[in-house]
This record gives sequence, structure tokens and C-alpha cells, in this order.
Amino acid sequence: MSDKQATGVASKRAYVIAIAVILFFWQVAAWFLPDFLMPDVSTAFQRLWEELNSAEFYQGLANSMTRLGAGYGAAIVAGVVLGLVGGSLNAVRSTLKAAIIILQSIPSIAWVPLFLILMGFGNLPIIVVVAIGAFFPTALSVMNATESVEKVHIAAARVMGASRMQMLKRVYFPAVTPELITGAQLAFGNAWRALISAEMIVGFSAGLGKSLAYAGEIADMTGVMTNILVIAILAAVIDQVILERIKHRLLRYQYL
Amino acid sequence: MELNFEKVTKRFGDLEVIGEFNTSIQSGEIVALVGPSGCGKSTLLHMVAGLQSASDGQVTADGRPVKKPAPERTLVFQEHALYPWMTLVENVALALEFQDHPKSEALKEARTWLARVKLAGFETYYPHQVSGGMRQRCALARAFIARPKVLLLDEPFGALDALTRMTLQSVLRDLIEAERPTVVLVTHDVDEALYLADRVLVFSNRPARVLREISLGHIPKTHDLSAFSDIRRDVLGLLGIDTDNSTDAVSQLEKGETA
Repeated sequence: MSDKQATGVASKRAYVIAIAVILFFWQVAAWFLPDFLMPDVSTAFQRLWEELNSAEFYQGLANSMTRLGAGYGAAIVAGVVLGLVGGSLNAVRSTLKAAIIILQSIPSIAWVPLFLILMGFGNLPIIVVVAIGAFFPTALSVMNATESVEKVHIAAARVMGASRMQMLKRVYFPAVTPELITGAQLAFGNAWRALISAEMIVGFSAGLGKSLAYAGEIADMTGVMTNILVIAILAAVIDQVILERIKHRLLRYQYL
Repeated sequence: MELNFEKVTKRFGDLEVIGEFNTSIQSGEIVALVGPSGCGKSTLLHMVAGLQSASDGQVTADGRPVKKPAPERTLVFQEHALYPWMTLVENVALALEFQDHPKSEALKEARTWLARVKLAGFETYYPHQVSGGMRQRCALARAFIARPKVLLLDEPFGALDALTRMTLQSVLRDLIEAERPTVVLVTHDVDEALYLADRVLVFSNRPARVLREISLGHIPKTHDLSAFSDIRRDVLGLLGIDTDNSTDAVSQLEKGETA
């Protein structure tokens, strides 16, 4: 227990130091470059504070979070279903895995032109691109985990008279949860990158990516750096706070 | 529940693991299958459980051929069969929940069974937090809670140290006396077989054939097995273990193998 707490404290300290180092290099760059090319750290934080008091900022944030939530959520559900089904069907497993590995190598942003024409300007193409980014790592990790569920765990459930549904819910699902969470964290990174880049390209209604692209177009470097700051902070909060907390709750038994 | 093995044969490809095994096991009888590792004893057990099927012949339970697993024929595995993501009480309750008992009732019953195997107070521990002996106590509770008519034990205490193993053998014996299921025990521990079983079948190496059948009858027993020392020496001899009359035993084994 004390060991785990100690590593927890150590990893927090590592994060604080890393943030300080990043901000330091940014500030060094700002000292050497003119203000219109690279703003001071303090200037960007000041702009962030102003943004936090504007309704426009929250509109963009809400739009982005909605797209992320819809795309990421759908990808997790679909990934779990396909992973469990694919992982338990010996006949199709290797083909399915190969297909996923091929499709996964395509950057999800590459699908944007296709979906823009197919689905028109709107939230849908962005959501689909986010979902594609998150789907593959989730499905792959769940499929691999399903394949390696301990045989004795399956045999024990069969002996106890588990139905197919019970087997899935009470044995397979909890057995793959550790890998699912690792996959879901990987998937979040993909989803987040896909979201910001799709918003930058599509530029449909307010959003974090659009606001960043717009700041670049009008050569507002303080705006660019502020947006990057927001994107970094949000990603860290979602991954390190929200997803880590869900992980600890679902895998509580491993931390005792 | 009465079990019947009728010319049961099992082949994996060209490899014959079990050759025409016949025996009947009376309702409430306790039979131990003893033999060298990998001789197919466990396969026989899995056939009764419905987890594996025979290549030829059949296993029947009360006259009906066994085709798939059923809670009335339950199996206790060697180890690691408890679910690590569930507490001990949840693990035990699961056996009832799989039979669609309401969760609250299943948990209540599970607590009673954990108390019966002397695990009261450990209900909310996870398997990795308790000792191997405690895990197998829990596995026994999970097997008995469904009130099986046939209890199959696949080297249940093989991974435990000698003292813990003897304690658990006593726990198991008490449970069997109280519940009276038909029991088939696979073990490589001759003392365990003699202590628990009414009848011991000694198997040869692959393909598994019965070398000797020893009926002890259902008699009260303690861990002092000195009354059975002749039988014990005999069985160990059949398994190729050096005893006083080892030359005899080896020749007997060879005869058994070529027979």
C-alpha cells in the first residue's frame, strides 16, 4: 500500500516538474523571438483568463466536448462488442485482426474529405472521424484480451451452468476490463488528436480546433498558444484525472 | 446420482489417452482415480462434467448420456478457478446467481457456506488477498452451495503444502459426509485417495487402463492411515515408486502396462 502511495506521489512530482520544464522552454523561446511570433507564458495565461470569462469560449468547448463524447462513447461501445464477439469466434479472429491493423494505420483525419462529401458539413463527419480514431485500439485490445481469458475461468462458469449472456457479462467482460481500459486510454489520445484536427479542417461552427485555426489565420500568436494550452490542459485532465479514476474504480480489486 | 462409464475411449489425433474404460459408480459412492500425471484421469473427469466428450463409448448419469455441463455435476479445479475480480462471497454466490437465484438470497446463502468452510470474516476479501488453502476452501463452498448430485475433484489440493492439504481433506470429508454427493476424485496423492475414497482405481500410463481396483468400503477414517499400509505399499508399487518389495512392483507395473 505505502509502495503504491509512494509511486503515486513520485508520478505527481514528475508531472509537476515536466510542466515546469515545458513552460520554461516556451518562455526561453519567447525571450528570443519577437512578441508577435511567440508570446510570453504570462500573456497566454492572461488571455486564457479572459477567455474563461467569455460565453464564446464555453460555446466552443461545449461543441468540442459533445463531438468527443459522441464519437469516443460510440467507439468504446462498438469496440467492446466487436472485440468480445471477434475474440470468441476462432473462425474470423485472425482476419478481423488483420483488417483492424490495416485500417488502423490510416490516420483518421484522412477520412475527412470522404465523410464531408458523404455526410455534408456538420457535426456528423467530425464525430465519425473521432469514432474511427478511438474504435481500432479499443477493439484490438478487447479482442486480444478475450482470446486470452483463462480457460479455467470459462470452464468453471460452464460447470456452474452459466448461460451465454451470463458468461459474457460475468466472466468475459470483467476478465477483459484491464486491457479494455489500457485500450480506452490509447483510444482517447487518438480521439483527441482526430477531434482537434478535424475541427481545424472542417471549420464548421465553434470548437477548440476551429478557434485555433482561426487564431492562426489572423496571425494572433497569443490566441494560437492559448488554444494549444487549453487543448493540453483538457487532455491531461481527461486522461490523468477522469480516465485514471474510472480505471481505479473498475479495477479496485487489483489495487488492494 | 449413478455414473456409468461404458467403453469410454479418448484419442487426441493418433494418441490414445484412454482405452475402453468401464466402471459404474453408485449413488453416494466416493471413488478416487490415481495414476501417473498425464494419464488421462482428468480427461475422464471432464467427460463427466460435460466439458469434453469421448471419442468412443459414453458416460451416463442416472442412465442419461452426459452431453453438456449441468450444475448437478460440478467440478472443483486445481487452482486459479476463483474469479479475481470478485470477493470470496461473490465468487460463492455466483454459483447460485448462474441458476437465476436473486442476488440477495445468493449472497446470504454464500455467507452461510463460507462459514461452513471456516471462512467467516473473509467474505469481502479478494482471492489474491488470502492464502492458497483459503482459496480452495472457497472453491469447495462454491461447489457445494449448488447442492450437486455429483462432485468432481480435479487434484483439488495439489498446489497446497502437506499440512494445509490434510486440513482441507478433513474439511472436504466432513462436507461429503453431510451432503452425500457421488464423488469422483482425481489425485496423484495416494494418501489422499485412501483417506477420502471408498474405492480406489489405479491407472497405468497412457493409454490409461485400470491396473488395480481397491474397495475399502465407506468406513470412518482418520489421517492415521497405518491400517492401510499394505494397500498403500501396493498402490505405490503399481505407480512405480520404490517400496520394500520394489522389484516385485516394477515387474507388476510392466505386466500391467503390456496387458
